[in-house]
Amino acid sequence: MFEMDGDGKGKKSKKEKKKERLEGMKKEMDIDDHEITIEELEMRYDTSIKKGLTSSFASQVLERDGPNALRPPKGTPEYVKFARQLAGGLQCLMWVAASICFIAFGIELARGNLASFDNLYLAITLISVVVVTGCFGYYQEFKSTNIIASFKNLVPQQALVIRDGQKNQINAVDLVVGDLVEIKGGDGVPADIRIIFAQGCKVDNSSLTGESEPQSKTPECTHENPLETRNIAFFSTTCLEGVANGIVINTGDRTIIGRIASLASGVGNEKTPIAIEIEHFVDIIASLAIAFGFTFFVVAMFIGYEFLEAMIFFMAIVVAYVPEGLLATVTVCLSLTAKRLARKNCVVKNLEAVETLGSTSVICSDKTGTLTQNRMTVAHLWFDNHVHAADTTEDQSGQSFDQSSETWRALARIAGLCNRAVFRPDQEGLPVPRRLVVGDASETALLKFTELTIGNIMVYRDRFNKVVEVPFNSTNKFQLSVHELEDPMDLRYLLVMKGAPERILERCSTILIKGQELSMDEHLKESFQTAQMDLGGLGERVLGFCYVYLNEKEFPRGYKFDSDEMNFTTSDLCFAGLISMIDPPRATVPDAVMKCRTAGIRVVMVTGDHPITARAIAANVGIISEGSETVEDIAIRKRIPVEQVNKSDARACVINGGQLKDMSSEDLDEALRSHPEMVFARTSPQQKLIIVESCQRLGSIVAVTGDGVNDSPALKKADIGIAMGIAGSDAAKNAADMILLDDNFASIVTGVEQGRLIFDNLKKSIAYTLTKNIPELTPYLIYITVSVPLPLGCITILFIELATDIYPSVSLAYEKAESDIMNLKPRNPRRDRLVNEALAAYSYFQIGAIQSFAGFTDYFSAMAQEGWYPLMCVGLRAHWENVHLQDMQDSYGQEWTFGQRLYQQYTCYTVFFVSIEICQISDVLIRKTRRLSVFQQGFFRNKVLVSAIVFQLLLGNLLCYCPGMPNIFNFMPIRVQWWFIPVPYGILIFVYDEIRKLGVRRNPGSWWDKELYY
Amino acid sequence: MSGKDEQQKDAGGWDYIWNPRTNEFLGRTAKSWGLILSFYLVFYLFLAGMFVFTMYVMLLTLDDFTPTNQDRLVTPGLMIRPRGELLELRFSPENTETWDAHAQSLDTFLEPYDDIYQAQTNDDCVPDQFFIQEDSVEVRNHPKRSCQFNRTVLEECSGLQDRSYGYQSGQPCVLIKLNRVIGMLPGKEGLSPYVTCASKKEDVNLGQLAYFPSNAAFNLMYYPYYGKRAQVNYTQPLVAVKFMNLTMNQDVAVECVVVSNTIAPGAERDKFAGRVSFKLRVSDQ
Repeated sequence: MFEMDGDGKGKKSKKEKKKERLEGMKKEMDIDDHEITIEELEMRYDTSIKKGLTSSFASQVLERDGPNALRPPKGTPEYVKFARQLAGGLQCLMWVAASICFIAFGIELARGNLASFDNLYLAITLISVVVVTGCFGYYQEFKSTNIIASFKNLVPQQALVIRDGQKNQINAVDLVVGDLVEIKGGDGVPADIRIIFAQGCKVDNSSLTGESEPQSKTPECTHENPLETRNIAFFSTTCLEGVANGIVINTGDRTIIGRIASLASGVGNEKTPIAIEIEHFVDIIASLAIAFGFTFFVVAMFIGYEFLEAMIFFMAIVVAYVPEGLLATVTVCLSLTAKRLARKNCVVKNLEAVETLGSTSVICSDKTGTLTQNRMTVAHLWFDNHVHAADTTEDQSGQSFDQSSETWRALARIAGLCNRAVFRPDQEGLPVPRRLVVGDASETALLKFTELTIGNIMVYRDRFNKVVEVPFNSTNKFQLSVHELEDPMDLRYLLVMKGAPERILERCSTILIKGQELSMDEHLKESFQTAQMDLGGLGERVLGFCYVYLNEKEFPRGYKFDSDEMNFTTSDLCFAGLISMIDPPRATVPDAVMKCRTAGIRVVMVTGDHPITARAIAANVGIISEGSETVEDIAIRKRIPVEQVNKSDARACVINGGQLKDMSSEDLDEALRSHPEMVFARTSPQQKLIIVESCQRLGSIVAVTGDGVNDSPALKKADIGIAMGIAGSDAAKNAADMILLDDNFASIVTGVEQGRLIFDNLKKSIAYTLTKNIPELTPYLIYITVSVPLPLGCITILFIELATDIYPSVSLAYEKAESDIMNLKPRNPRRDRLVNEALAAYSYFQIGAIQSFAGFTDYFSAMAQEGWYPLMCVGLRAHWENVHLQDMQDSYGQEWTFGQRLYQQYTCYTVFFVSIEICQISDVLIRKTRRLSVFQQGFFRNKVLVSAIVFQLLLGNLLCYCPGMPNIFNFMPIRVQWWFIPVPYGILIFVYDEIRKLGVRRNPGSWWDKELYY
Repeated sequence: MSGKDEQQKDAGGWDYIWNPRTNEFLGRTAKSWGLILSFYLVFYLFLAGMFVFTMYVMLLTLDDFTPTNQDRLVTPGLMIRPRGELLELRFSPENTETWDAHAQSLDTFLEPYDDIYQAQTNDDCVPDQFFIQEDSVEVRNHPKRSCQFNRTVLEECSGLQDRSYGYQSGQPCVLIKLNRVIGMLPGKEGLSPYVTCASKKEDVNLGQLAYFPSNAAFNLMYYPYYGKRAQVNYTQPLVAVKFMNLTMNQDVAVECVVVSNTIAPGAERDKFAGRVSFKLRVSDQ
């Protein structure tokens, strides 16, 4: 207890430290490097924006600040991990038992009346059991950590740096504050950089903020918040296009991302529910073992045994009662499930996390990359005054729209021509959606869309020779290009234009409907507005498209088009249609969300993206179900102010980061309680953490999915953090407990199913393992109180625990689910315990009792058939164990030497062992199900279990009949009939359990059900 | 930890043991306890009944006269009298107290071997052949007769002439007996098993030994043994060994082995199967 208290204090002080660091981090966020002028910046970092740092100064700074790399979180030293495996509750008991054995051996040796080396062997066996199971646990842990190590990207990042006025390619780890670096499209940003020069530079911040939209970077300071301003590019983000120059302002752990990463490592890892469960019942077992042992120690002293003998009894009772093989069984069961999950692309880092998924009641899911494909895709088109839906599935398996209209052909031509994005070369083999593209997100979407609909767009473009183009910029908000026509006889030029819908509409006087150019009237304008609003409301980015054939006379061949002057027609164009794009949900997600719902799991979206997009995707995948309204929706529908709406009427709720900032934690709890369907948008990393904490306060077991560095604190805080394997950053993977290799949300559902199954099966496995502790314990109790010759020895017990029964108990992990577990609510961690009272009582006092009786029947039979009648056995102990009594008379008057009696005692051990084995075969069969009849479940469906029974029998026979066993492990070759004496008890166990299950099935809620269903 | 704390808070400390609000003792009401205890009562009564029944059936299969199996008794044990303390006989001839207990135990042990008693209860059998008394198919042939083993056969070690069994003269007698095993036939072709004793260590000399009967044999007529129920007056044959001139003040480890053409040598681990080891020490005061 004392140690635990000490531990608690340690944790507290850690928490305080974390808080301080959090505060510190917020303060440090207030950097002003983006606000000061470039001259001041040069002064501050002793650098020059032309020549950069001098090499010598740079190396000084490097020495001062350390390398520009994220320090990996400090892991627990290996020996501590190993020591932890050796110092669990049960292990400590075993250590005590082993030391008692050593002491007993030492005393016997010193006294010189050494009967056998049994105590020494037992001590060594106990220690090796602890060490071997410890090694096994350590190996499992080590293996899962290793999986992660392989994810780490070992290729050093390069950076282009200007020092002493010369450009050099150096490793990014050698960058220092003040360095002048150059980045260009495709590079990762090597440190936090203040931009001093940029040309068309766009940066993907998604790993930092979760925003899917690229941010353009310019030298101007646009916002006082360093995260929002345009003139800082952050470490670990990627530059998508353009070039930029900048001064390094922060390196390594002092970068924004470094701070988030250290925030994550500061968040304490929550104990997994299964770990809590196991601890809970290990505590119970350990205290029961000590209580039992102590009681009988006192009883033995009272009866008149020697102190040393009483100590040995205490040790024996501990050995008999403690399920030595249980922790190994649990570890194996969990790792089997982990393996099964790994085949389904879920890699589990922390074995216990396997079960956590099963008890999860809330999933906080990131949007980008998890629920969505993280790739802009054309979702809708509006032409001919109709909205058409495009195929957004990843593998193009969806429905396409009617492509026969003339308008569609015109629209497709504009989309194809007015586009600067190009495929990277040599990707002909890849399916179109997976090809790499140079260009921004919406152009990429359009390129892929036209490639899929028109086909071979690059060749198509070549046929329409491009004469001039005006790229998109933020002031005119359109992009246009002028092309020669395909038909060499047609000497007109074609001008195609795309851009923000209103801007395009302004420039149009006509509209193309079913191939006919009609003049734009109010009616059409209105339907255009509706379409645009509708698509925008779906969270989609809408672009307008228009074109015109330039007058042949005004713009003859060879006309000098000037992109700056725009010396050509840019008004009175013909409107072709709208195309809207979105990062669409993955095809499997809506189904998976649905399954989560039937499984009683709430899916909450937490994203850094805009509320409208977030909501649209949420509605799309079913996080906000059809017909659910938010408070705002109700207000609009009823035409009343938002304040008057009864909040409990609204099932759905969308909260953005701004609102969240002003909410107290009680408000947040209340919101989570009253709205079953929640979407959080524009959230910061800290806010994600707050949301997770709030869910946990409400008693939920929370799973968090995420890929970005911004998610890592929440991933760590969650009961189970799930990182994305493909899109996920290393920080996210480090913080997570589980990694989805295919980034597929649907895999989570598989995980939930497996987690629930393993919880059920662990229950069965534990019930099976616990049962035999009673027939192992009772021989000692009878031995001490009634003084019969010892029926079962400690080494034999260890053989049952660690050899014959391990495989069957593991085989229960392969059992199929009894019912549709995905239609049940998640378990209540407070109420549905792994080991409950009913399970323990049923295993210990009923099945265990039957097994004990079986053992004693067989024991007394074996004794009687060799000449020792049952009643004679009572009180026999003192003479029986007298080493110097070589002519002890049995019931028939025959005389036995001590050695003969000892071998008879070993025979009894073996007979008792065989009885437990026979009963355990029956036990493993009944444990296949908790409610259904075994006949309903299928006797032989679990092949592993069948082979486990065969294995158990073979091993039992090997132990009994292998020559040399009597003197090594105290097993005797017993007579065949003694294998069959416990069979009636085995049948009794089976029949009794079938009756129990029948009662449980027939009378749910009855006394029988309550007392006997575990 | 926190879970436990909360539970205790909810239950308000001792409420877990006795909750006056719901009248629950350890989480169950009286009725609930009654039900569950009576369930277990019935359950265990049934189990105990089944146990008693199976034991009864098992006992029915047993024979009252011969054990079902004798797996452990392949090689009969050998034992000495007097047993001494931990099979160590230490005495000094001058000091009567040191050997008086040995002599007394031998007296008691040999009481049933008195010639008169033997003549009254047992038969005078034909030596060097087994005394077989088979049961007929229907009728058990018992009580079975036993053969006489007269105390006088032990001559000097009979305690009749020398009441101290040689202990007073520093020439101790040790009686050796072969453990009784039902149905054992310890020799064939008329050759009786005999005992031979030797020093365990080669460099220690035992001196001269005298065996009584002089052939040191357990005569075949005392076998087979039919069990204490069928053969009530069975007299176990003995061989006496007299150590004629033991070196004074020296520990002598003696091992006596039974030699027979049917008894297999005992297991390596069992120091008393077919042999017996003991220590002798005659000290001068």
